[in-house]
Amino acid sequence: MSQILRYTGMLLRSYTRDRTALFFGFFFPLIFMGLFGILNFGATGNVNLGIDDEANNADSQRFVDAMKSVSTFKVSAGTRDDLTKRLTAGDLDIVLVIPANFRIAPVRGGADAPPTMTELTSAARPEQGVIGTAIITQIVDQISFAVTQTSPIVATKREEVAGRNLRYVDFLTPGIVGMTIMQLGIASVAFAFVVDRQRGVIRRILATPISRRNFLAAQVLERLILAVVQVLILIGVAVLAFKVVIVGSMLTLILVTIVGATVFLCIGFAVTGLVATENAAPPVTQLVTLPQMFLSGVFFSRDSVPAFLKPVADVLPLTYLNDALRSVAVNGAGLADILPQLAGLAVWIVVSFVLAFRLFRLD
Amino acid sequence: MSAIVSVRELRKRYGEIQAVDGVSFEVQQGEVFALLGPNGAGKTTTVEILEGLRSADSGTAIVAGVDVAKDPAGVKERIGVQLQQSTFPENFLTKEIVDLFAIFYRRRVDAMALLRAVGLEDRAKQRSEKLSGGQRQRLSIAVAMVNEPQVLFLDEPTTGLDPQARRNLWELIRDIRKRGTTVFLTTHYLDEAEVLCDRVAIMDSGKIIALDSPRALITQLLGRGFSKPQLQQQANLEDVFLDLTGHELRED
Repeated sequence: MSQILRYTGMLLRSYTRDRTALFFGFFFPLIFMGLFGILNFGATGNVNLGIDDEANNADSQRFVDAMKSVSTFKVSAGTRDDLTKRLTAGDLDIVLVIPANFRIAPVRGGADAPPTMTELTSAARPEQGVIGTAIITQIVDQISFAVTQTSPIVATKREEVAGRNLRYVDFLTPGIVGMTIMQLGIASVAFAFVVDRQRGVIRRILATPISRRNFLAAQVLERLILAVVQVLILIGVAVLAFKVVIVGSMLTLILVTIVGATVFLCIGFAVTGLVATENAAPPVTQLVTLPQMFLSGVFFSRDSVPAFLKPVADVLPLTYLNDALRSVAVNGAGLADILPQLAGLAVWIVVSFVLAFRLFRLD
Repeated sequence: MSAIVSVRELRKRYGEIQAVDGVSFEVQQGEVFALLGPNGAGKTTTVEILEGLRSADSGTAIVAGVDVAKDPAGVKERIGVQLQQSTFPENFLTKEIVDLFAIFYRRRVDAMALLRAVGLEDRAKQRSEKLSGGQRQRLSIAVAMVNEPQVLFLDEPTTGLDPQARRNLWELIRDIRKRGTTVFLTTHYLDEAEVLCDRVAIMDSGKIIALDSPRALITQLLGRGFSKPQLQQQANLEDVFLDLTGHELRED
C-alpha cells in the first residue's frame, strides 16, 4: 500500500510539470465555460415567460406577481393562441396557461382534482425551458408548502432556490464538469499508456519488482485524485468568477465525480487496448468522446437530440453522469434522487471493466 | 570465485526462429562479462531471460542464487538492469527518477549520492528528458544501482555515444566493478569488450561459439596461424580525434 501511495505521489508531482495535461485538464474546460458562459449571458440571462391568466382572480394575480418577482423571468401577458404564436416565433421560451378554476387553497381529501396549469416550452431554446420549469415548480411548491403549513425546513431551502437567478452558466457548469471527467478518464489513459508503451517506459518499469497490480493501482489512484481536484477547481472558478450556485451537496458531487471517473478510466483502459500507436490514439479516443459531447447534454439540453438518436443518447455513460451532476448542482438532488443514474453508471463500470480486462495489455 | 550467473541449455524459439539454441555458461562473481555477437545472434533474448523479462522454452538460469523461471520477481530484486531502447517517464526531474525507481524496489535511497557516483549531481534538478545521450546512460546506471544489485546488466550501454562519453562510461563501469558488483554487458564494440571485460562469450545464431578472456581468445586465434597485414601505426583515428577534441565530456 505504501508503495502505491508513494508512486501515486510521484505521479501527481510529475503531473504538475506536464503543461499539455494541465492545459487540457484545467484551462481548456475553463475557457469553454468562460466562452459559453459569456456568449450566452445576455441571451439566456432571462427566461421569456408568457402567461395567459384564464382565472383572473385574486389567487391567480398573487401567482402571477410571484412570477414577476423572479428576476430571471420576463413576464408578458396575452391569450393562449397569441402567446403560442410568439413561442413558435422564438420570442417566448415558456407559455403558462392558468386555468379558470385556479385558486390557492388546500385540496380537500381528493374530492376535486387540483387546478392543472398547462405549460408549453420551446424546443428551440431547451435550456430556458428546463430552467424556467424548475423555477415554476419551485414557486408552486413554495406556495403549496405555505398553504398546507408543512415541512418548514424544506420550504426554507426551496425559497433560496427560487430566489436566485438561474442562468445558462448554472446549466452549463455540471455539463463541463462531466465532460472534463470523461476527457480525463479516456484521454489521459490512452495517450499516456500508448506513448509509454511505445517508448519502452513500461518495459523498463516492469524490469523492476513492482507488481503490475500496484503499478496500475497507482496510475488509477492518481487519476481519481486528479478528477476530484479538477472538479473542485472548476466548480470553484464557476462559483467565484461566474457566480454559479451549487444547490446540492458538494460531497454528493464528489461522490458522483469518483463514480464517473471510474467509468471513464475503465473505458480509457479498454480503448488503450485497441490503440497500437501514438498516431492512432487521437482518432480512436475522439470516436468515443465526441459523440458523447454532443449527445449527452454537455452544452445543451438533451431535448434537442434528434428522436432517432434518443435511445442511444439516453444510455451513454456521459448522459448518466451529466444528469446526475446536473440534478445535484441545479436541483439539489440527494443520492436517493439520482439512484437511476448511479445504477446506469454502475452497469457501465461492469461492462467497461470487463472490456478493459480483456483488451488492455501493459506490454 | 563462485558463479553468480549460471545458465544451462537455455532455449527460446520465436515461430520459425530458434533465437537461443542451447546456451550454457557461467559468470563469476565480481567480473565484467560480455556477450558479443552480430545483430540477431540472440544476445538480447538471452539477457532478457536472465533479467526475468522473458521465459525460456527450456533450460535453467540461476541468477544471484535465484531460479529465474521460478521466481522472476526475486531475480528482479537482486539485479540492476539497463535496457536497450527504453526511456524514463516524462516530466520527472533527474533526482526524482532515482527516487521513483527506489519506490519500485520498496526502498529509500540517497538519490544525490547515486547521482554523484555517475557524475550527474549538478543535473539533479533538471528534467531527465533534457539530459544528453551520455548523461541519460549514466542516469540509467544510477537507477540500475538503487537496489544495490549483485549483478548489473547493461544492454549495449555505449551505443550512440560520442568517444568522450564512451570512455567516461567505461570508467564508470570499472568503478562499479571495483565496488564488487558483477557487470554483465552486451555490446557491438569489440574494442570496448577488449578493454573492459575479464571474459567474453561470442554468440552467433543462438549458440555460444567461444568463451574466454579477450587475451586468451586472441592468443588462440594467433595459435591457429592467423595473421593480418601489420600496419605500423602507433595511433589510430580515435586517438587523433581525442587528441584534438580533448577527453572531457561535451554534454551541454
